[in-house]
Amino acid sequence: MKLDKYLEMIRIRFLMMLAYRTNYYTGILIYSINIGAYYFLWSAIYGSKEQIQGLSVTQMTTYVAISWMARAFYFNNLDREMAMEIKEGRVAVELIRPYNYLGMKTMQGLGEGIFRLIFFSVPGFILVYLLFPIQLSWKPDIWALFAVSILLSFFINTELNLLTGITTFFLYNNTGLIRAKRVVIDLFSGLLLPMSFFPGWAQEVMRYLPFQGISYIPSMIFTEGFTHHQAFEAIGQQFLWVILLFIPIRLIWSIAKKQIVIQGG
Amino acid sequence: MFYVKIFFQYMSQYIKTRLQYRTDIFVEFFSDLLSQAINLIFILVVFGHTQFLNGWNRDEIIFIYGFFLVPFAVFSAFFNIWDFNERYIVKGELDRILTRPIHSLFQIILERMELEALLGAITGLAVMLYAGLHLHINVEWYDPLLFIFFVIGGVLIYGGIFIMLACISFWADARTSLMPMMYNISNYGRYPVNIYNHIIRFVLTWILPFAFVGVYPAAFFLEKQEWFWYSFLTPVMGIIFFTISVILWNQGIKRYRGAGN
Amino acid sequence: MNAIEVKNLRKEFKAYSSRSGLAGAFRDLFTRNYKIIPAVNDINFTVKQGEMVGYIGENGAGKSTTIKMLTGILTPTSGEITVNGMNPHKEREKFVQTIGVVFGQRSQLWWDIAVQESFRLLKKVYKVSDEQYNNHMDHVIKTLDIEPLLDKPVRKLSLGQRMRCELAAALIHNPPLLFLDEPTIGLDVLVKLKIRDFLKEINEKYNTTILLTTHDLSDIEALCERVIMLDEGKVIYDGALKKLKETMDDGKEVQFQFLQNVDLTQVTALTAGMPVKWELNEKEQLFTAYIEDQDELISQLISKVVSAYKIKDIKINETSTEELIRNIYEKGAVEVG
Repeated sequence: MKLDKYLEMIRIRFLMMLAYRTNYYTGILIYSINIGAYYFLWSAIYGSKEQIQGLSVTQMTTYVAISWMARAFYFNNLDREMAMEIKEGRVAVELIRPYNYLGMKTMQGLGEGIFRLIFFSVPGFILVYLLFPIQLSWKPDIWALFAVSILLSFFINTELNLLTGITTFFLYNNTGLIRAKRVVIDLFSGLLLPMSFFPGWAQEVMRYLPFQGISYIPSMIFTEGFTHHQAFEAIGQQFLWVILLFIPIRLIWSIAKKQIVIQGG
Repeated sequence: MFYVKIFFQYMSQYIKTRLQYRTDIFVEFFSDLLSQAINLIFILVVFGHTQFLNGWNRDEIIFIYGFFLVPFAVFSAFFNIWDFNERYIVKGELDRILTRPIHSLFQIILERMELEALLGAITGLAVMLYAGLHLHINVEWYDPLLFIFFVIGGVLIYGGIFIMLACISFWADARTSLMPMMYNISNYGRYPVNIYNHIIRFVLTWILPFAFVGVYPAAFFLEKQEWFWYSFLTPVMGIIFFTISVILWNQGIKRYRGAGN
Repeated sequence: MNAIEVKNLRKEFKAYSSRSGLAGAFRDLFTRNYKIIPAVNDINFTVKQGEMVGYIGENGAGKSTTIKMLTGILTPTSGEITVNGMNPHKEREKFVQTIGVVFGQRSQLWWDIAVQESFRLLKKVYKVSDEQYNNHMDHVIKTLDIEPLLDKPVRKLSLGQRMRCELAAALIHNPPLLFLDEPTIGLDVLVKLKIRDFLKEINEKYNTTILLTTHDLSDIEALCERVIMLDEGKVIYDGALKKLKETMDDGKEVQFQFLQNVDLTQVTALTAGMPVKWELNEKEQLFTAYIEDQDELISQLISKVVSAYKIKDIKINETSTEELIRNIYEKGAVEVG
C-alpha cells in the first residue's frame, strides 16, 4: 500500500518524459557523437601502443561507450529541480503532502532513469555497437553484477544530488555549487577517464571518496577490467557509500526543515 | 550608436544587480575555474601516458585549450540563451521583449549577460602564456590583432550556432535539451581535428564549425602552416554563421505564437 | 484620426491533443493529432484617438490574442491592422515606441533592482530626454503616489504597489496609445480606484487612447464609454455601453420590504392585470417586482402597493451590467437597433 504512491510517481515521470519527444531523436545522436569523439581521442592517445594501464584500445572504447550510456541512467537534475522548488517556495506545498519529499524526488529520478535506460541507453548502445569496435561480454554473471552496480551508482549519484539540492536552504543561490559538483563528478567518477590512469597518489585519495562508485566501478565490471573478486569488493564499497551518504542527508534535511519554518516557505 | 549606449545602460544595471549577491559571483567564478582546471587535468593525465597526439605535443594541446577559453568566455558572457525556450517562450517573457523598441535578440542578449564569465578569458590567456613560453612562440606585431579577429570570429560562430538552436523553439513546441548537449560537442574543437575521421572533421569544420573556435585559429599561432588557410577562414565563418542565425531568428519571431491566451 | 484600424483580422492556432495512457503516449512520439482553431475570427473595428474602449469577453474568447496582434507580438494569419498609422509587426521597433503596454500578470520591471533604476533604463530604451521625463513623470509619480516606492527593489513591493509602478513604467515615453491587459487583477478596491482616476486623468490631459481588457466590469463601467465584446473569436457587440444596457434591459426591478405580514399571493392579486412578475426572498422578506421600464407603469405599481400596505423600504434597481453580460453570453449575440 505504502509503495503505491511512489510507483505512481515513477509512472508519471515516465509519461512526462515521453511527452518531450524531440529530446530522444537528437539525444541518442549526440551521445553517439560524444562517444565517437572520445573513441578518436583515445585511438590517437593509444597510437601504436597495445595497452595502457592494463586496458586495450578496444576495452577503452567499450569503457567510454558504457560509461556514457550508464550516465543516461544514473544522471538526473534533481539538485536543480530542488533548488528551483525551494527558491519559488513550492517546497512548502510539497511538504504538506503525505509523502516523504526526498523519497519522492528519488522516485522521480528513478522513473526518469528507467525511461532513459530503455529509450536512450539501449538503442544508443546498439547504434554505438554498430559504429565502433566494442567488445561485448555475453556472460550472464557479468551482466548481473553490472545491473546491481549501476543501480547502486544511481543511488550514490542521487544522494549527492539531494545533498546539493538541500544546500539551497542555506545558500540563496547555489547554481555555482551545482555546476561545480557536476564537473567534479564527471572527472572523479571515472566518466572521462578510468581511475587507473591517474597518478598513484590521486588514486589513493579517490579510494576514500564516493565518486568512483558512480561510473568507474560499473564500467570496469562491464569491460571485464575487474576480476570477480575485485567486482564483489567494489560493489560492497558502493553499497557502503549508499548507506554512509544517507546519514548527512537525514541530518541536514532535518535542520533544513526548521529553516523553512523560519523563512515561512 | 543608440545600441552602444543601451548596451552600457544594461551593463551598469547588471552590475548593480550582481553586487547585491556578491558571494554568488565568487562561487560561480570558482566553479568556472574548477571546470577549466578539470579539463587541464584531463590533458595532463592523458599526456602522462603518451608523448604525442597525432603529431601534436602536450604544450600545443594546452595552448589550443587556452585559446579556446577566450572566445568561449566571451560567448558565455553574452549568449547565455541555453534556457531560451523555458524562460522566454514557455513563461511568455518574449511578450514583454516584443513590446520594446529594441531588436528582440539584442534585448535578450542584454538581459541575460553574465559578465563574470569574462574572467574565463583571463584564465585562457594565462594558459596560453604558460604553454607559449614552453613552446618558445614568437610574437609578431600583428599577432595580437589577428588574435582579436580570431576571437571575434569564434564568438560569432558559437553565438550563431546557439541562436539557431534557440530558434528551434519557434517552430517546435516541445522542450528540447539540445543546448546542454551541444556544449559537449563544442568541446571537440579543442582537440586537433586530424585525430578524428573525415566525417567528424567535416562536421566540425562546416556543419557545427567548432574547430574554428579552438584548433584552427590556434594553429596559426603555433605556426602549423598546413592549417593557415583554415585559420584565416575563422572570421569569415563567424560572419556567415551569425548572419544566418539572425535571419533565422527574425523569421522565427514572425512565427512566435505567444504563451497561453 | 483613428488610433486603431482592424480589418478582417484572423489568427489560427494548431491545437495538439495528446492520446491517453502509456500506449497513447507512444503513438504521440511519432504522430500527433491536431486541429486548427481560429482564436480570432475575422474581426473588424476602429478606435478613434482619445477613446477609452473596453475589450471584454470570457476566457479564451480571443482578447489576449487580439491585444498581442495589436501590439506587434503576434503575426496575424490574415487581415489588416493599422495602429498609430503603422503595421505593428512589420515595423515593430518603430511602432512600439508609440504604445505603452501593461500586462497585469507579467512584470515589465527588473525584479532585483530598485524601481527608479528600471525607470532609468526604460527611459534610455525609449529615448526620452531628461526634460520630457521630468515634465511628464514627476506628475505621473505624484498622481500614482509611488514616490516612496522608487528606491525599493521590485521583489519587495506588494501587488498593488507593483501595479502602480508598472503603469508608470508603461507611460515613461508618454505614448498616445495604451494597452492594458487585466490591469486590476487581484487588486483591492482602493488601488483600483486610484488607478481608474489616474487613467481618466491622463486620457483627459494627453488625449491618450486606452484599450482595456478586464474581467472586472466595474472597471469598464467607470472608464469606458464604448465596449467591444468578443465571443469565440468574433465581435458580438461593438458600441456604447449605455446603449447596450438600454437594448438589453428587459426592465427594472422594484424591491419592497413591508412593515406588516404579507404573502406572495396577496401582492400578486393586488397587481392583477398589470405586466408584473413577483418574486420573494423568504429569508429577508424581500419582495421583488419585475416590470417593464416605463415610468408610467412603475409609478402605478408603487402607488398601488403603497396604498395597500405599510412600507419599510423601497428600491428601484436597474439590471446590473454583470447580469447583462451573462445574459448576452447565454443568448450568444446582441441585436442593436
